[in-house]
Amino acid sequence: MIQEEKKNDSREWTELNMGPQHPSTHGVLRLKIKLDGETVKEVEPIIGYLHRNAEKICELDYYCDSLIYFDRMDYVAAMNMEVGYLEAAEKLLGIPPPERAKWIRVIMAELSRIAAHLVWAGAFGLDLGMLSPFFYCFVQREKILRIFTEISGSRQETNYMSIGGVYQDINENIIYMIDEFTKEFPDKLEEIFNAFVKNDIFMSRNKGIGILEPEVAINYGVTGPMLRASGIEYDVRKAEPYLVYDQLNFDIPVSYKKDNLARFLVRFEEMRQSVRIIKQAIKKIPDGPYFNPKAKKSLMIRLRGEGEVYARTESPKGEFGVYLVGDGGVKPYRVRVRSPSLKNLSVIRHLGKDVLIADLIAISGTIDLVFGEVDR
Amino acid sequence: MDVLTRLAHFFAPLTHYIAYILAYLFESIFLVIFVTIVLVFMIYLFRKYMARVQLRIGPNRVGKFGMLQLMADGLKLAGKESILPKGRDDLPFRIAPLIVFIGLVMSFALLPYGDFYWIGSLTITHSNVSVILLFAAIAIMPIGEILAGVSSRNKYAILGALRGVAKDVSFEVPMMISVLALVMMASARTAEPLNLSDLVSSQIIPFGIPEVIGLLVFFISMIARASYSPFDMGESDSELVSGHSTEYSGMRFGMFYMGLFGSIFLSSMMVSLLYLGGYNGPFSSDAGFIFLLIKTVILVLVAFTVWLSVPRIRIDRFVNMGWKYLLPISIINLIIAGIITLGVGL
Repeated sequence: MIQEEKKNDSREWTELNMGPQHPSTHGVLRLKIKLDGETVKEVEPIIGYLHRNAEKICELDYYCDSLIYFDRMDYVAAMNMEVGYLEAAEKLLGIPPPERAKWIRVIMAELSRIAAHLVWAGAFGLDLGMLSPFFYCFVQREKILRIFTEISGSRQETNYMSIGGVYQDINENIIYMIDEFTKEFPDKLEEIFNAFVKNDIFMSRNKGIGILEPEVAINYGVTGPMLRASGIEYDVRKAEPYLVYDQLNFDIPVSYKKDNLARFLVRFEEMRQSVRIIKQAIKKIPDGPYFNPKAKKSLMIRLRGEGEVYARTESPKGEFGVYLVGDGGVKPYRVRVRSPSLKNLSVIRHLGKDVLIADLIAISGTIDLVFGEVDR
Repeated sequence: MDVLTRLAHFFAPLTHYIAYILAYLFESIFLVIFVTIVLVFMIYLFRKYMARVQLRIGPNRVGKFGMLQLMADGLKLAGKESILPKGRDDLPFRIAPLIVFIGLVMSFALLPYGDFYWIGSLTITHSNVSVILLFAAIAIMPIGEILAGVSSRNKYAILGALRGVAKDVSFEVPMMISVLALVMMASARTAEPLNLSDLVSSQIIPFGIPEVIGLLVFFISMIARASYSPFDMGESDSELVSGHSTEYSGMRFGMFYMGLFGSIFLSSMMVSLLYLGGYNGPFSSDAGFIFLLIKTVILVLVAFTVWLSVPRIRIDRFVNMGWKYLLPISIINLIIAGIITLGVGL
């Protein structure tokens, strides 16, 4: 079809490469675009610049050691990735985590979701040319990272959870830090939110731009906030609750506007809902062991799994699926990851047609890409 | 008496011809030094202000409060290799940054600065058509940017230059029309309304009060002229890497950078001269230069605040704004100015 259009259009289209070393593209995305003046006629995302073969490396490692590769997939939301892998691995190995560990995981995953969305909001502002909100977002994110440092010793690649529970229990100090954070964060979030939405130029850059119809979104396999912004209420936390999400009270934000602004609003509402979840979870967290004794450190590398499992969780980017096949050995036979960013990115071919360059940048900003996860 | 004439008098024992050559020479040196000081001050102010807005500290390592940071940065830029891209158009590529810088310095030469205690008038050159000369000098700078974009043979640079042309065309007309309104109003009071000094001195109440619309149009146009946010589509870093200056490095890039900050200071100073009374202050005409500086710095801070808080406007929206809103508004403003001049004789 594109070939035919080209014949009709006697003018030549300019070919322009954006990335992988371009300030606009997130990580190492390369967009090969064809331009007619300022209008983008065709866009082709080229990926693979951060390919590290994580799935194959996982197949060469013990079940317990693969976790760090998942940390480095969606590196801004490491906790969510850990939850995703452990959901699958624990099902395969038959070592369920104790109740307390489940609650701790929920708290950490939601904190991580907030951190990931804050990174996204800041970067999106930069895409549009807003310099300051980036720093406001990162100041808040730093508080979450401080909690992570306290609990796991690492800021981003936490490697906090492990098969059968978590690496260490949360103590008074950490509960206090989380309490403080949930107390003051909502106000700060509103400040950041207002810095964006009370700006006419921001609204005009996003309203009605990059409309993603729900049918198209489903056909491309789009999940997460992008899908919910297209008017489909689908969230793995509600549709197929894992951990203890069925005991928590929260809403799934949905918008029917389908444009850039809808995606922006949905992500901010998700942060508010995450705060709600953390507030409930920190009160409800039960006493008890935080670690399943079946997965002691000395026994960890002897864990054997047989059969195949697929587990899906809701990462900040969308539905994060892990497929594991065990052949009865100490290492998995096959590891496969369904990364939401990759599926969400594929829709840019559809969204980036007949828009201006500036809009293409805004649209690729709302997709929320993390290349560790796209390329793996 | 302006600085140039005084210098010429100083060298008067020499022949008339040599005296003027020496006067021009010294004047140019003064100017470049003045512009450099302004730029150092501006960039330091911007970095500190930006840091405060963004909850950071800003430069604080080199010198007291990081004041020598700019020296360090300048030395770094000067010491860098100036890479010349393959396939460039050599001469335009080399002279483009110079054109930008020369346009900036020339514009500063034509502004009236008012008096400063024992030094007397700081105005460098008097001319009875300095308004026209000033806008001609300002119009030189975009030429350098366009040359840079076209000659560096880079798609980003060419796109940036094209955006720059579209932008310049759409804001310069309303800008000139709003200045025309001022000249019209000044013509009721002074015989030489095209002389900037007379134009500024003729404001008994600042022109910004009867000419609020003109002030807004002119300020928006000058922000667009200096091409910083929200009108930085020409060098928008998230779309076109850095537009026309993509292929530049080292001191050549430094000249574009200086051109940007110099433009901000220049546009703020022009707004304060033309609309806010310039060097006219509430007391003591000796301190005229100080009043001018205070007004300019306040406007610079306003411009920085705008820069740091708004996203980039889309190029098609900006062109629309220029032709559909700014131009009709500035024409209406011109008519209002005419009525005021005829009717009230303000």
